[in-house]
This record gives sequence, structure tokens and C-alpha cells, in this order.
Amino acid sequence: MKEKEEDIENRFGNLNKNLPFRIPESYFDTFSDRLMSRIKEIEHPSRKRTLYFYLKPALSLAASIILVILLVFVPIKKFFPTGKGYLARQKNQVDPVDSLSELSATLISCFSEGQFMTAVSEMDEFEPKTLSSDNLADYIAANYNDYDIISNN
Amino acid sequence: MDLKEKEFIGNLKSAGNREKAFKVLVETYQEKLYWHIRKIVMNHDDADDILQNVYLKVWKNVDGFREDSSLYTWLFRIATNESLSHLQRQRKHAVIPLNEISDYLTGSLESDIYFDGDEIQRKLQMAIVKLPEKQRLVFNMKYFDEMKYEEMSEILQTSTGALKASYHFAVKKIEEFLKQDHK
Repeated sequence: MKEKEEDIENRFGNLNKNLPFRIPESYFDTFSDRLMSRIKEIEHPSRKRTLYFYLKPALSLAASIILVILLVFVPIKKFFPTGKGYLARQKNQVDPVDSLSELSATLISCFSEGQFMTAVSEMDEFEPKTLSSDNLADYIAANYNDYDIISNN
Repeated sequence: MDLKEKEFIGNLKSAGNREKAFKVLVETYQEKLYWHIRKIVMNHDDADDILQNVYLKVWKNVDGFREDSSLYTWLFRIATNESLSHLQRQRKHAVIPLNEISDYLTGSLESDIYFDGDEIQRKLQMAIVKLPEKQRLVFNMKYFDEMKYEEMSEILQTSTGALKASYHFAVKKIEEFLKQDHK
């Protein structure tokens, strides 16, 4: 093995044993200082206190409050409307009426069936007229001929 | 380990003298360590990073140094391990997947702006890069650093017999590579 090692030295002897790599100028001269600076920075990191450092807690709190409002209150108000004035606002959305017949039609659209019947019974102008047999005979004679009466039977 | 070195290690471990002793340590071994690392990773920027990390490790762990080897051996062992770990990380995190570390090193060598050799030296470096990890380490330490096998054995924690075999195989492979290149 020793002999072979001498051969090796001979075979590679014509090759330059100096490494073909270079380094930046003054690299080793400044290495120690750069290293010590890095060690000091790791062991005693410097913290510069800026205005942001002092405002950070207040800004964080403000941001949290805004977020809660956006995530909680806005959807609740939009999808589950409650509170005073809602019905009034809905009624205010109905267009103004010009005549009595339009008023009654508007009332009918707003009321439930029960409410409507109660309202009608309380309103004088809507008291139902009783139908007499004479009225009925007059009506039929005016509106139907004999053929219509017989064919419907 | 001689008395002078024991005293020096004592200074490194004492809080009052540590910084001064550490600066001496850096200035004493920085060049040898740098070139050892540079031969492994090829690239100057990588070598600079690794050299700093080696000394940082020494700074942090000097109190745990058991003094079962010389300071020099300990430093070189850290440098070798850091360099090899760096190469493994580069291979794993490469943008284009690399099958071998030699792929990364070939690319590093070709793009290195601090490479200053002639064509023959470039070919030799390309041949060295293609060697398996252990053979590459042994070849560099034996051929360029002219280190004794006993010294290498302490650093690499491998027997001298295995190191001699590694060197022998490394030389054969480099010769074959250079012959193929000539054809």
C-alpha cells in the first residue's frame, strides 16, 4: 500500500496541489469581527422601540372589536331583524292610496283572514244586506233566460 | 493533550476569559477549517455560512467539551459533520430533485465565481465530486491537506485501515475518470 501511495503522488504530481478556489479580499481579516458581532446579536438581540411598539396593544384591541362587530352584529341585524319600528317601517313601505276602494284593498292585503272578518263586521258600510226572495227573482229574471234555468237544472 | 492546551480550554470555559480565548481560537483555526469545509461543499458562500455555524456551536457547547480529544480534532469533527449535513439539506430542498449529492456539487462547481483553476484542475475537482462521500473526504484530507491517517482516524472516527482502503479506491476512480475524459 505504501508503494502505491508513492505512485499516486507521482501520477498526480504534475497537478497543482494548490486548491483552485479563491476567496473574497480580506475575508479572513474580517471573519473574526463578523462572527463576534453575530454572537452578540444572538445573545443580546437589540430591540428598537418604535411608535408601533407602543400603539400595538390599542390597535390590536380596536381590530378585535371591529372584527366582532362584522362577524356577529351585522349578520344578526340583516337576517334576524327585530325591535321597535320594524312593522312601522314595513307599513311605510306600502304605497299611499287615492280612493276608498284602494284603501280597502290595501287593508285586505295587510290583514289576516280573522282580522279581516272582524274588521268587516265592525265597519258600517260593509254590513251585509239580507237577500229577499223578491230580490232574488228580480235578479234571475234580469240575468237569465228560460233555457239557462232549465239546462242548469 | 498538552498542558498549554488544557490551560487554553480552561480559559474558554471560564466566563471572564472566554471571549478573548475564543477570538484566539477563531484566528488560529479559521483558515484550516475554512478550506476543509470548502473542499467538501465547493461553494464560498456555503463554506462561509458553515464556518460561522461551526464556531457558533463551539461557543455554545464549549462547556460540554469532554477533552477526550484535542481541540483541533473536535473542531474538525464539527466542521465535517456540519458540511455533510448541509449537503444533505441541499439535496432534499433542491428545486429540481437531485439523485446524488454529486449533482449538487457539480452544479456548485460550475457556477462558482471564486473558482480560479485551469482546465486540468477543473477536471480533477469534477472527478473528486463524483466520489462517494467517505472517499471524497479521505482523498481531500490526504492529498491536499497531507494529513496523517492517525489524525484522520480521530476526526472521521474510522480505522486507519479503512481510511487507507478508501484512499486507494478514490485514487483509482479519479484516474479512470480522467482517462475517460481524455478519450
